[in-house]
Amino acid sequence: MSARRTNGREPADAGAARRSGDASRTRRAGRIRRAFKAAFDAGAYIADDGKAEIRVCAGTACHASGRAALRTAIDKALADRGLTDKVAVVETGCHGFCEEGPIVVVRPQGLFYPRLTPKDVDEIIATSVVSDGIVERLLYKDPATGEPVAHEAEIPFYKLQERVVLALNGKIDPYSIDDYLAHGGYAALARVLEDDDPMAVIDEVEAAGLRGRGGAGFPAGRKWRFCRGNPGDVHYIICNADEGDPGAFMDRSVLEGNPHSVIEGMTIAAFAIGAQSGPVEGYVYVRHEYPFAVQRLRAALTQARERGLLGEDILGSGFSFDIRINQGAGAFVCGESTALTASIEGHRGMPRGKHIRTVAQGLWGQPTNLNNVETYANVPWIVNHGAEAFAARGTATSKGTKIFSLTGKVVNGGLIEVPMGATLRHVIFDIGGGMLPGREFKAVQLGGPSGGCLPAALLDDPIDFESLMAAGSMMGSGGMVVVDDTTCMVDFVKFFLKFTAEESCGKCVPCRIGSQRLLEILERISDGEGTLDDLERLETLSEDIIEGSLCQLGGSAPNPVLSALRYFRDEIEAHIVEHRCPARVCRPLIQYTIDPDACTGCHVCFAACPTDAISGERKQAHVIDQKLCIKCDTCRQVCKFDAIPVVDARPALAEGRQR
Amino acid sequence: MRRRSRGGTATEPRGSALYEVLKGIDFERRELLDKPRGVGLFDLVKDKGGSYRCYACTLCERTCPVDCIEIDYCPEFEELPFDLEAERAAALATLPGESCGANSACVVGEQPAGFVPEIDMKKFDAVVAGIRSGTGLVQALHSTQEAYGYLPRVALENIAGEMGLPLSRVFGVASFYGQFRLVPVGKHVIDVCMGTACHVAGAPLVVEAFSQELEIPVGGTTPDGLFTLQTVNCVGSCALAPVVRLGDDETIGRVGPNEARRLVRRLRKAEVPA
Ligand SMILES: Cc1cc2nc3c(=O)[nH]c(=O)nc-3n(C[C@H](O)[C@H](O)[C@H](O)COP(=O)(O)O)c2cc1C
Ligand code: SF4
Ligand code: SF4
Ligand code: SF4
Ligand code: FES
Ligand code: FES
Repeated sequence: MSARRTNGREPADAGAARRSGDASRTRRAGRIRRAFKAAFDAGAYIADDGKAEIRVCAGTACHASGRAALRTAIDKALADRGLTDKVAVVETGCHGFCEEGPIVVVRPQGLFYPRLTPKDVDEIIATSVVSDGIVERLLYKDPATGEPVAHEAEIPFYKLQERVVLALNGKIDPYSIDDYLAHGGYAALARVLEDDDPMAVIDEVEAAGLRGRGGAGFPAGRKWRFCRGNPGDVHYIICNADEGDPGAFMDRSVLEGNPHSVIEGMTIAAFAIGAQSGPVEGYVYVRHEYPFAVQRLRAALTQARERGLLGEDILGSGFSFDIRINQGAGAFVCGESTALTASIEGHRGMPRGKHIRTVAQGLWGQPTNLNNVETYANVPWIVNHGAEAFAARGTATSKGTKIFSLTGKVVNGGLIEVPMGATLRHVIFDIGGGMLPGREFKAVQLGGPSGGCLPAALLDDPIDFESLMAAGSMMGSGGMVVVDDTTCMVDFVKFFLKFTAEESCGKCVPCRIGSQRLLEILERISDGEGTLDDLERLETLSEDIIEGSLCQLGGSAPNPVLSALRYFRDEIEAHIVEHRCPARVCRPLIQYTIDPDACTGCHVCFAACPTDAISGERKQAHVIDQKLCIKCDTCRQVCKFDAIPVVDARPALAEGRQR
Repeated sequence: MRRRSRGGTATEPRGSALYEVLKGIDFERRELLDKPRGVGLFDLVKDKGGSYRCYACTLCERTCPVDCIEIDYCPEFEELPFDLEAERAAALATLPGESCGANSACVVGEQPAGFVPEIDMKKFDAVVAGIRSGTGLVQALHSTQEAYGYLPRVALENIAGEMGLPLSRVFGVASFYGQFRLVPVGKHVIDVCMGTACHVAGAPLVVEAFSQELEIPVGGTTPDGLFTLQTVNCVGSCALAPVVRLGDDETIGRVGPNEARRLVRRLRKAEVPA
């Protein structure tokens, strides 16, 4: 077990008052310790003894890039060599480097093989498993230097991260509680139960400065205290795994890769909130779009119950707590606390007013504590290492680390965990590897549909709750989408508005109709038919929506618009004044053409065009019939010679206006 | 920031209405007018005979997005023409659609014409078992959809019966959530991810390509019952954007419009033996 805390917070006289019960406390503690050891020993876990092991990433993304076929090939190759019993194949959760999937790590050397296909398997087994070699051709190549990197730990993407919540992701088998226990799992829970002091747990979490990772950043310890202070027949502990931000997947990865850490965190929270006061029950609200996460969580819950780490009388401590899984059904607004509880209760997921807080009357009218997946996953670490160690990372107001899911036009897409306060540049360029070759950074969008787009000028800003808010964006749940000069800001903002307009629950007129109107104005602009008055209209309408919305879906829906108006006004105005889309995305303003000098007449685009708009003889320059072209982008994507530039549709008009 | 001019339609508040409608708003100081979008004060309308038309149906209390209306007993009127508390309790307990007596026919449409598969009620047993074990309505709808691929009307009726809920309520929940389908799906369900990462990588072009190749709009099913085209908001494989999911199990990454068309052609070919 990990080292004890030394920052004894307990007042001296409280200790004295308790002394009378000391004997029974010692007995209880002993009982818990024995129960915990028994839970540990019940497993068949064989400690890391340097044996050969192949770890295959079985996260959602690697599954999509072909891990099933890979696994079959590995099993077959091992069987062919008679190694099935000698080499363990472990399926892990997401390693966070999904861009490079499917990922295989060969142990004990820790060799990292990305983007494998079944064809490569035999060679890897022959070279790296049977003997101690390295298949250089299959190694990850550092895009910056072009040098191959053999070991997972040396890859810049991993090396520069500080993984706390993700520490065990990709290292342990999510289906094995033994693996988690062997890596120090559930020790924090056992300790908390032994100490038997719920208030101390709350104090610790509050002192650590842990703030909610689901969006608003409310201090978790304070929320727990409020919840504990509210009387009820039962206290509910809910984990928000709805992960509604489209383009974010850290909660998915934590649940898939290390489900027990969330269960342990929730159980500690349940103890802190409900122990010695009344019954507590737990729910995990998971998106239905994450079937693997649900499967693994379900298996983990069963295992935890079998070992006495969940359910009745946990580890013989007298404290009982169990967790149920509730699946969402594809409604973004259900991530909002009151909509989420309504959804569990079997209603339409519509938020209600917040004059009655969820901590007082939440699920079924009982005091309810709702936290995000990542928030709970931080809790065991805090208990194990103490508040000070946690607060040592981060900034004055934002403590600890945060996971970001970096996607979009970057080289290394994936999960990045860094201390709060790291700069955007560090995350996007140092860890994320920067922009794709030949492209220029334009904006980074944080906080999903509620957030805003930040321009290059703010790249050196630290990432913490306050700084992002001041810049007109927000932390949100940690989605970070990077776009380059090929993304049009009008189109990008239109996308978010379309999303919120569709996802608005419809209760408030400003949100339901206002977001639709915002979208219509933006559509007008992207069609080249906007006016400068529209910009002002966007601003005032945005203000109205923010003020007249009940929940933060409507309350933050205009953020993408406002941030685009603040940082990318030129680009929006180009659509209006010059009838030009600088990024060449907005269809009415662009045209596909073939550059006769670059075209080799390879005929590929000819075959791919769905409307037969392209004509030309082999080995002759081709041409596009503008009347037939529907601007589907297919030809540009298939052309291997970059011979299809997209140009302004109305250059003459644009020039005329410019003058 | 620029503010709207003050709403000019305010009428004089009439002090003692039968019900104090706007709790928390100071009528004397007319605070409502200082709110940016205040268009006036709420008032209860009287009919020619001078009595209030409000029926205390509590609909406004239930729908107000910011819960600013509370319908209360007003002590100034000693004798009420009806038992207010009872009326109020009854009205609040009534679910929308329940009281119309028409069995919610207005909201729950008849079975769509066209391609309708046979409904095997044996498969419904699992749903009933779930409901009896205490899973909620949303979970019951999930297991129904798992069994049939969509939510057949007869299943919704049975769920309503099993759970003791009005059909309108079951339908209301089913239609709220994006994942539930009220019409049958084709053999191959194509879900195109429209999350942020996929959008940036060109997902709109991919949906369009599918839509053109299949000649159906998003949400539609081909007349031969082979394909259904849907969109989904992020399946968590953003690093492989644009992502397409085929059925429940197969996820395909890095799909462009050209790959989309070829995928459809390949699936079609596999269906029609040459
Ligand atoms: C429209 C809307 C969607 C939300 N979606 C999520 C979500 O997907 N996941 C999440 O953890 N929190 C989400 N939240 C925030 C939650 O309401 C809540 O603040 C959070 O789960 C609390 O947990 P935390 O304090 O640990 O962050 C959403 C909020 C709103 C208004
Ligand atoms: S702001 Fe929008 S999503 Fe939130 S309650 Fe109002 S209508 Fe529903
Ligand atoms: S694909 Fe490119 S090079 Fe080939 S014919 Fe078309 S434009 Fe010319
Ligand atoms: S953009 Fe599409 S329709 Fe137009 S020429 Fe290219 S492939 Fe054909
Ligand atoms: S799913 Fe394999 S690295 Fe993310
Ligand atoms: S945005 Fe498409 S998978 Fe996440």
